[in-house]
Amino acid sequence: MNEETYVVKFLGIPFNLTNVISGLVAFAIVFCLVYALSRNPKLRPTGKQNVLEWLIDFTNGIVSSNIPGEQGKKFNLFAFVLFLFIFVSNQIGLIVEVIVGGVTYVKSPTSDPMVTMSLALMVLLLTHFFGVKRFGAKGYLVNSYLRPVSFLLPVEILEEFTNFLTLSFRLYGNIFAGEVLLLFIGSIAKSHGLVTSVVMLPLEMIWQGFSVFIGSIQAYVFVTLSMVYLSQKIEKE
Amino acid sequence: MLSHFVIGAATGLYLGDLLFYLISFILLMLLVKHFAWGPITKMMDSRADKISNDLDYAEKSRDEASKLQAQRQQALDASQTEAAGIVSDARENGEKQRQTIVANAEDSAKTLKANAAKDIEQERKDALKGAQDDVAALSIEIASKIIQKELKADDHKALVDSYIEGLGKQNGAR
Repeated sequence: MNEETYVVKFLGIPFNLTNVISGLVAFAIVFCLVYALSRNPKLRPTGKQNVLEWLIDFTNGIVSSNIPGEQGKKFNLFAFVLFLFIFVSNQIGLIVEVIVGGVTYVKSPTSDPMVTMSLALMVLLLTHFFGVKRFGAKGYLVNSYLRPVSFLLPVEILEEFTNFLTLSFRLYGNIFAGEVLLLFIGSIAKSHGLVTSVVMLPLEMIWQGFSVFIGSIQAYVFVTLSMVYLSQKIEKE
Repeated sequence: MLSHFVIGAATGLYLGDLLFYLISFILLMLLVKHFAWGPITKMMDSRADKISNDLDYAEKSRDEASKLQAQRQQALDASQTEAAGIVSDARENGEKQRQTIVANAEDSAKTLKANAAKDIEQERKDALKGAQDDVAALSIEIASKIIQKELKADDHKALVDSYIEGLGKQNGAR
């Protein structure tokens, strides 16, 4: 894992160029994928349309199992895009890792804590926003922190922060560890020429396969937990 | 802007990334919604509508079919009873007709028989009358013959016998 990154200051705000490029790649892949799959939709779905509809049904299922009824419907798109983005982000680092002159340009965006924290922050802000929208400011505070019993208030407040940290660092840790091990195996393979390469190749492939699995699971977990937090804020306790 | 390139540690807090991801995520959501989510979910909804409509329609046509089936069954039953009625009517009519025909035949046979008996009786009477007339004529003839010549007792007897014989022959011939 490479620690060197380009940082660009724009309007006095620092941007990490690695994250920006990787993020752009992920966004572009997600959009192209969805765009390609959604061409020429028909009433009787075929091929690629089935794939997209299966994906939509899958994320809709995550939403409706946590937020039942009409209320959950407005989060369907959010869950769909979030799932696809995290899934694609998790897989990017397994396929390409562009490191030029000791600086990483493309990797899994989700292997950076800043990115996962951004996503977690976005989700948690949404939960608070919809909580207030549903119950009003006072109702939101009562529903979120004083129900079902008021003496749990400190725990509830603490939970807001732990939710944020666990949500972001679970994803970050899993993907970061996967990439570190991948690069580590890669560096061993390169260390002694052909011999180590031949030995390490199957190991690398096994770990890549396992990382695909982990990346999928983590995307699912992230979206599921986001919906759980959302439902905690917008469902009456 | 490029003059601000610095090489920093990855652990730094880059607020810009947060903004970048927030904005691009929202942008991605809008794009996906416009290009993929909208058309596909619209198609899925319209398919769900179509399926539910088709199910309703199938339900309705099944009801109609079973109604028609019941009607047909009813009509079939009715026509069967009608047919049975027609057959029994025909049989009854036939029986009645047979009885009338038989009765008529019996009547006409009776009348014929009665006529025949009457005819026979008449003829018998006629015959008897004819015989009486013959006997009378013969008696007269015999008497005249007796008167014409004297007869012995034997001759007398032979004469009577021959007469009776002739009478019987005459009767048998008729």
